[in-house]
Amino acid sequence: MARQTDNLWYKDAVIYQLHVRTFCDSNADGIGDFTGLTQRLDYLKDLGITAIWLLPFYPSPLRDDGYDITDYVSVHPSYGSLEDFQTFLTAAHNRGIRVIIEMVLNHTSDQHPWFKEARSSRENPKRDWYVWSQTDTRYEGVRIIFVDTETSNWAWDPVSKSYYWHRFFSHQPDLNFDNPAVLEALWEVMKFWLNLGVDGFRFDAIPYLVEREGTPCENLPETHAIIRDLRKRLDLAYPGRMLLAEANNWPVDIRAYFGDGDEFHAAFHFPLMPRMFMSVKLEDRKPIIDILEQTPEIPNNCQWCIFLRNHDELTLEMVNDIERDYMYDEYAVDTTMRINRGIRRRLAPMMDNDRRRIELLNGLLMSMPGTPIVYYGDEIGMGDNIYLGDRNGVRTPMQWNGETNAGFSTADPERLYSPVISNAVYGSQVINVDSQKRSEHSLLRWMKSLIRLRNSFQVFGRGSIRFLDPSNHRVLAYVRQFGEETVLVVNNLSSSAQAVELDVRRFKGYIPIEMFGRNLFPRLGDLPYLLTLGPYQFYWFQLRRI
Amino acid sequence: MRQTILLGLEQAYSNLVHMIADFLPRFLVMLIIIVLGLVVAFVLKYILRAVLGLTKLDRVSEEAGASRLLRIAHLPSMTVLLSRSIFWVTWFGFILVGLSVLGVAGLQGQISRLLQFLPEVFVAILILFLGLMTANFLSRTALLAAVNAGYPSPRILSWSIRFVIWILAISMTLEELGVARQTVISAFSIIFGALMLALAIAFGFGGQDLARKSLERYLGNTKKEKDKEPQPL
Amino acid sequence: MPPPFGDHVVGSFRILQFESEVSRALAEDTFLTDDLLRQLMGVGEVDLLVGIYSHSNTSTTSHTLRAIERSFQQHFTRQRAVIVNTCGGDKDEGNAAAAGLSNVAEKNVRLAESASLRTVHQVTGDFSAPPSAAMALRTILAAADLLRARACAVVSPATTNLTPDWIANLLRPICQENVDFVAPLYTRHKFQGLLARNLLYPMSRAIFGCRIRELYSDEWGFSGRLAAVCLSQDAWHEEPIWTRPEAWMAISALSSDFRYCQVFLGQKLQTTTGPGTDIVEVFRQTVGNLFWCLESHQSAWLDGERSEPGQTFGPDHELTSEASDLDRHRIFEMFRSGVTELEPILSSILDPETHAEIKSIVSLEESKFKFRSDLWVRTLYDFVASYHHAVINRDHLVQALVPLYRGVTFSFLVEHSDSSPAEMEAVSEGLCLEFERQKPYLREKWKAKVEVKS
Repeated sequence: MARQTDNLWYKDAVIYQLHVRTFCDSNADGIGDFTGLTQRLDYLKDLGITAIWLLPFYPSPLRDDGYDITDYVSVHPSYGSLEDFQTFLTAAHNRGIRVIIEMVLNHTSDQHPWFKEARSSRENPKRDWYVWSQTDTRYEGVRIIFVDTETSNWAWDPVSKSYYWHRFFSHQPDLNFDNPAVLEALWEVMKFWLNLGVDGFRFDAIPYLVEREGTPCENLPETHAIIRDLRKRLDLAYPGRMLLAEANNWPVDIRAYFGDGDEFHAAFHFPLMPRMFMSVKLEDRKPIIDILEQTPEIPNNCQWCIFLRNHDELTLEMVNDIERDYMYDEYAVDTTMRINRGIRRRLAPMMDNDRRRIELLNGLLMSMPGTPIVYYGDEIGMGDNIYLGDRNGVRTPMQWNGETNAGFSTADPERLYSPVISNAVYGSQVINVDSQKRSEHSLLRWMKSLIRLRNSFQVFGRGSIRFLDPSNHRVLAYVRQFGEETVLVVNNLSSSAQAVELDVRRFKGYIPIEMFGRNLFPRLGDLPYLLTLGPYQFYWFQLRRI
Repeated sequence: MRQTILLGLEQAYSNLVHMIADFLPRFLVMLIIIVLGLVVAFVLKYILRAVLGLTKLDRVSEEAGASRLLRIAHLPSMTVLLSRSIFWVTWFGFILVGLSVLGVAGLQGQISRLLQFLPEVFVAILILFLGLMTANFLSRTALLAAVNAGYPSPRILSWSIRFVIWILAISMTLEELGVARQTVISAFSIIFGALMLALAIAFGFGGQDLARKSLERYLGNTKKEKDKEPQPL
Repeated sequence: MPPPFGDHVVGSFRILQFESEVSRALAEDTFLTDDLLRQLMGVGEVDLLVGIYSHSNTSTTSHTLRAIERSFQQHFTRQRAVIVNTCGGDKDEGNAAAAGLSNVAEKNVRLAESASLRTVHQVTGDFSAPPSAAMALRTILAAADLLRARACAVVSPATTNLTPDWIANLLRPICQENVDFVAPLYTRHKFQGLLARNLLYPMSRAIFGCRIRELYSDEWGFSGRLAAVCLSQDAWHEEPIWTRPEAWMAISALSSDFRYCQVFLGQKLQTTTGPGTDIVEVFRQTVGNLFWCLESHQSAWLDGERSEPGQTFGPDHELTSEASDLDRHRIFEMFRSGVTELEPILSSILDPETHAEIKSIVSLEESKFKFRSDLWVRTLYDFVASYHHAVINRDHLVQALVPLYRGVTFSFLVEHSDSSPAEMEAVSEGLCLEFERQKPYLREKWKAKVEVKS
């Protein structure tokens, strides 16, 4: 089927999320940089991903891994220069890889010149760029997001002798979007990067832009108005670029961020992610079915982004207490693994390095409705270090080979921004790109074939989904359809072999073709279609009518 | 003349000897058959007793109430009764066969008729016995049900049922035996029909109100009466 | 298949070796339909199984289904669970609440509040005709065995106030205390359940050495181990089991080395129609069943002498004493007329001495009447021995006991009209001890040869 216009490229994308600091160090300072990243673009091209999402690389005191920005229109010197970024961007585009960067609208670092000005005096023109109060009782009852470290959403500024509002760390004061100047300033920032050629922005912490008394200060109509404004400007001046929302909320609330197709192009489906993990542990499709059946329809030009893991903790905010306790008990028995109502572990350790389960989850990621995002290192099954502070345990250097520093850097190991994983199971001598490239049946090879297969069909990114309802609850089966493309996906969520009978009468006469091996299976008919699956096995069948 | 008398005596003596010579072997055969029959009957009796002992027929008979009937009639237990019956039936059969060997004129015909009549006798005895057993069982069932339901005069009801079934069983027995067949059938029909007619008249015409009230009381009170008794569980 | 023991014995009995031939039993029998097997295949291994089972099959099951589902959600959120509905209720009833939500926001709220981690399966028996109680229970046991359920419970839609906590209370001792049989305890009116108080409980206690007050109940729990053993028994075609198989199951457990306990549930409200209110039918189902169990399990009790208290979770008993509208005079009259009218039958059942004593108390005035405990026990043991020797039809024998029971009931009502629950319990305990004291008498009658009585 002919590809649609580039304006919907994000629906077909496979996004690779990375932090430039973690990927490759070219100048032996122990910190990854854009030059190093540029050198590794061929690897990413070979992997098959079609877009890169870069975590914040702006100048920053790095007290929140770069989300505390001091200069929106520059590059942190540790990662290189603007020119280095431009070189990287061009090289990526040359390989057909798009680039999405972070845009932190909600807050800045307290070291940002804007805040320094604002706090300097109450009469400063930029005073009103932030949210101030004489007391810390305004917006009472609003939840604290970083519960492990913050006790209030207000912080006392000793300089201006007043409180300022911060939904995240206290060193990240919230910008005041009731001041139009703030929005204009940020639009200028966006234009700067758009003019360089970036393909999209991931808006961090978007629900919290606006505050109003008597509300939870999240997802307010005014926030949506701001988004619509930005989107309109973007579509007019930069068509084909995309906005991706980070809104950790229930599907119905996230739905609002699509508007009528006039707000965000895409948004993360946060509630789906923990339920995928839950389903595999429970060996029951119910959590996935429940959340997807309650996910509302979105405009045709919008897209969900789905993921397994990312740079943050595996958030358990969008589950109830019982589900959270279950996830903790199953995936984070050691309380060191827990942070901020989440689990700070990588995919492979959570799966106990079980290749079958890792494949199953990636199969789900690539076949469920939405654009998949692969977190760097998960394609080779990298491990984590829960003893590093905050969420740094999942942000360790990329493991390229079994040499010193895992091939990430030639600097002294002590100089690395973070130690390389070195234990017997996930250490770089065991888990690295080089060794997996050489192995025919490595996880990396398998991921490549999986991504390649996904890229061959638009149905995964653009198609509808209809769940089948076999009596065996350990099997999750669904049909994806888009135009002439019809794919039947059957997943065994259980650790034991399963038999399942599928009601596929609607597809009577179709021939299932198993997509990995291209083998024919018996034609579908009136009778229930019997399949047997090994532990954690899944099938993708292309249904063809010939 | 003396010669004639001597000749006649000689002839008579000769005939007698011939008759005896002719009869004696048959008599001996008859005796052998009877003795053989006795032995066979004994053997069958003990075999049957052993088999019935294994099947615990007496226990079943107790439960069914047949043993009680037997005791009332001063009869032994079911196992003993059946084994003794098979003994006598077997031996009687052999006796009849032995008698038929004698070749006495007219006797064979009677024996043949007796043999034809025997099955009917057995069936008649069986009908009577089953009828008595049924009467016993159903009358006791009715008695218990009436007593536990608190109906007045349960024994009358019980005896009525027993009486009706007895009449039926006796009628069927006599009919089976062919004794005054027409009379028995007619008498039974008259009695039974009259009883049913009387009941119909009583409830249909003469006791409409009473019948209605009885029914209402029965249907209405059953639940109320149950409520007045503590729930057993 | 002896169950494992914990550090302490909850309630233990003489060991009988049961040969577990479940697979042979299932292969020979065809009571599991293909449809049911297919449903079980879809369920897979479970931790908990709750069966819905009714003696009358006339009650609706929707409230029962809801209570069970809520129990799983509230108390067993992580366990794999299945409901086996043998009442043939509406398969979609349980899904009605979950279907048809049109408002996405409502759905999200429900999602946030829902505590159900897993799919709760419901398996509905596909019977061409309403199954007998034995068939229903057998189906539940088979499902428990095939699904390797660890803890099981059976509930009845006849109980109109079944709560999620009741189900949890039945399952929890099996999960946590390794108990094999869980019997319920209810809040009773002091004049309710007199058959259990004056006959079923003390007799089973004396004979089998167990202390289960509610041997015949609509709710109970059992372990998967016990289910497998009971399933392999050959007794499923015996008539006494058809209507009250649960008692047979309890006694099978009690007469071998399975652990039991009692749990307090609360006040029980049940439908007022059905065989549970007809005393003769109740006698048939319970007393007849108990007598049959004595017969079939005689090797377990004939030479044993034990009565150990089992563990009880919650109060051992709870009695209320609000006013009740009982017609005592009618009960007494039915006793008196019953004994008189059934004299020929009773004479063939009772020992002459016992019969004479009963005839003497029949002649007493109502105001002076008292049915002594020792006489009642002796009467019952005469009946049991006569049942064993089949002096008359056994069903008739059980029915003949009803008037005598009424006499005991009348005596009880008069004696305890103003008694406190504690006083009543003391008297009941005395009755239990009387049963135990006269057990040698029962043994003697049981083993004696039958004398022919005209």
